Amino acid sequence: MAELGFMALLLGFALSAYSAVGAIVGERKGKAELVVSARRALYMTTLTVTVASVALIYAFVQNDLSIAYVANHSNTLMDRAFVWVAFYAGNEGSLLYILLTLSIISALAIWFAPKRLARSMPWTIAILAINQLFYFGVLTFVASPFELLDTVPVDGRGINPLLTHPGMFSHPPLLMGGLIAITIPFAFVSGALIAGSYGDDWIDVARVSAILGWGVLGAGMLLGAWWAYTILGWGGYWAWDPIENVALMPWLVMTAFIHSIMVQKRRGMFRMWNVALLNTGFVLAQLGMFINRGGPVVSVHSFAASALGVIFLTFMLASLVFAFALFLWRMPQLKSDRAMESFMSREASFLVNNFLFLAVMAVTLWGVLFPLFSDLARDVSVSVSAPYFDRVNGPVLLGIVVMMGIGPLLPWRKASARSLKQWFIWPTVIGVITITVLVALGVQRPVAIFAFGVVAFVATSILEEWWRGTAARYHAGDNWAIAWWRLVNGNRPRHGGYIVHISILMLGLGIIGTNFYQQRTDGALALGESLVIDNYRIEYVANGDSSRPDRIAKWAEMTVYSIDPDDYSQEIQLSNAQGSSGFTLRDSQTRPNDELIDRIETWHGFYLDFNMASVRSGIRSTPVEDLYVIPRDFLSDGRISLAVSINPLAWWLWASGPFFIIGTMVAVWPQVAVERKPARKERLGSSEGES
Amino acid sequence: MPIVLGTLLAIISIAVIAYPFLGSQRYRLVSESFVTREKLRAERLRIYRKISDIEADYELGDLTEADYQQQRDQLRISAAEILKQESDSITIDSRRDEDLEKEISRLREQTTHSPRGRDNL
Repeated sequence: MAELGFMALLLGFALSAYSAVGAIVGERKGKAELVVSARRALYMTTLTVTVASVALIYAFVQNDLSIAYVANHSNTLMDRAFVWVAFYAGNEGSLLYILLTLSIISALAIWFAPKRLARSMPWTIAILAINQLFYFGVLTFVASPFELLDTVPVDGRGINPLLTHPGMFSHPPLLMGGLIAITIPFAFVSGALIAGSYGDDWIDVARVSAILGWGVLGAGMLLGAWWAYTILGWGGYWAWDPIENVALMPWLVMTAFIHSIMVQKRRGMFRMWNVALLNTGFVLAQLGMFINRGGPVVSVHSFAASALGVIFLTFMLASLVFAFALFLWRMPQLKSDRAMESFMSREASFLVNNFLFLAVMAVTLWGVLFPLFSDLARDVSVSVSAPYFDRVNGPVLLGIVVMMGIGPLLPWRKASARSLKQWFIWPTVIGVITITVLVALGVQRPVAIFAFGVVAFVATSILEEWWRGTAARYHAGDNWAIAWWRLVNGNRPRHGGYIVHISILMLGLGIIGTNFYQQRTDGALALGESLVIDNYRIEYVANGDSSRPDRIAKWAEMTVYSIDPDDYSQEIQLSNAQGSSGFTLRDSQTRPNDELIDRIETWHGFYLDFNMASVRSGIRSTPVEDLYVIPRDFLSDGRISLAVSINPLAWWLWASGPFFIIGTMVAVWPQVAVERKPARKERLGSSEGES
Repeated sequence: MPIVLGTLLAIISIAVIAYPFLGSQRYRLVSESFVTREKLRAERLRIYRKISDIEADYELGDLTEADYQQQRDQLRISAAEILKQESDSITIDSRRDEDLEKEISRLREQTTHSPRGRDNL
């Protein structure tokens, strides 16, 4: 299989080189056959990279340990279900996966490209082919997943234990897929600019492909957070880790882009700005690849031992120069149709929101790059950690949420004082009421209370808009459900966006709850002992061994009781006096009001070959709060060392995912009802038969 | 076996990319007029979409009656202008097609061979 995989990659390299050269020469010389041939070559690269991928997966299934990549990322003990994960668990395999994704989406994009872009298609094909050529080149000549070992080992090293988690089936593929997907809108827009198409021909294809890539990247990041929450054993879900940051940055820029592209679509403005945003997003995606592969920063996610840094850095710099040279060349032709009429308008609010997104991106970029600069300039190693990002980005992110509520309430062009009063009154009232109620209830932390007020403000603005639109249709004769559906269906980009906004609010609730109100305690329990935190008593009731030849592993079972704090008043007083959030009970006698509410299981394993521990946290999740139990270690005296936390509103973090995906799908779903009728008319005019 | 599969893959790839040069189909780059018509069509659809959007905005109260009427009228005028351009483009192309047909007929009389088909980019 190694020979087949290598041959397929080599062939793909030749095909993508031919495709790039053929498309450009064919376009310049007016040779239609050459352009068609180049396009077909691009399609064929999908076949070759698919063959290479299947060859590698087959090698994993067959335990072909003569291939170094297979030997390094699997062994005979590995659950066969994880073959898919092992495929991209290492540097070479993940690059192959990225190329597979790029080739498939490139072929689909070219196949479904609208005919009005025909003049720029050769350039688009060439840009896509050059991107593929880079990855084919790396995989063929520098980091081949089909490299053979001189001596075949008896067994492989095994898969990284942190990757043996359900989230790994989807988190890395979505994250890598989302990053590489930015290439598609970039290729279309750059192709159009090279071909001299300065109008809005590329808006729809750029918008749809950008939203799809953005949605995939966002879903990938959320799944990554879930993976971290359940397996990394530190009780968090986002650590501003450099590799998390390099995925977040292009996502932020693309978020700005998919908002401002609507201004271009609706008002013919921001053309220059949109091209600059797209270029920035593309270059940041390349930066992500460089940092991930080059190993200039250490991360739980990165392939730090990789020597590919220089190659990826060169490609990133080449992308940067190309993108912005093209931008500067075509800038005079990218002027807006009209100027902004008022700062109290939806387009102005989108611009402000764009600046805020870019501000978060810039702060994050500085946090990622500063350790590198420090290392290079002063030979001093520093690290920028979560408090910097939280402190600087936190208020800006809150500002973004505020704008999320204000923007949709403002009309296009300019708002009148009357309309401002009309549309802002209810969201403001509900926001203020929320803050007042929380203060009255004795909730602490003013910043968090204000943030809850903002969430209420934004939620009300969305619900108010839906209410107004639905009510108008209801009074026209529809029932409520159909009226709402027709409202959403009538302008899917807008209402899909609102559904995504709701998911962001849910995410916001989780972030506020877990960041401001988390309680943590530690303890070591023997069987039969309990740990009390907040309104819970966790009793350690059973354990067992689940070791395998590659790991020493144990599971532990706990019963969870809901308690009445009055029953434990003495212990709580003592604990509070010591400044602790919880305490351990040596006897586990049930108190009068204890109520058994759940059983949770935790697991702890130590992988000998990797010298690495892996855990499965025990989580009792409700919309109000998560009880989160991390098994730190099984001690030699038979006790289990636990870290227990109460994570308020964490449930909302993961509940936001389906809303995010549904909203994204609604936003990009074609508006068939509007376009079908004119399209039929148009066909009558296409007598030339060129379609 | 892997070598055979790899060789087969190479042969298929070469055949697929060589076909445009060797097959009986003839290809030509799309005409400027075709691209123009496609662009006009897309622009017209965008205007229809904008009309639909401002109607929704008006229903929601985001637009005043005066703004709604003004914007809708402007968009309708733009759509009408584009329809006219499309119509003109078709008329010009039809005339050009008639001339081409005449030229093809003349050439057919001179030669028995002609391309069997065509594809477009």
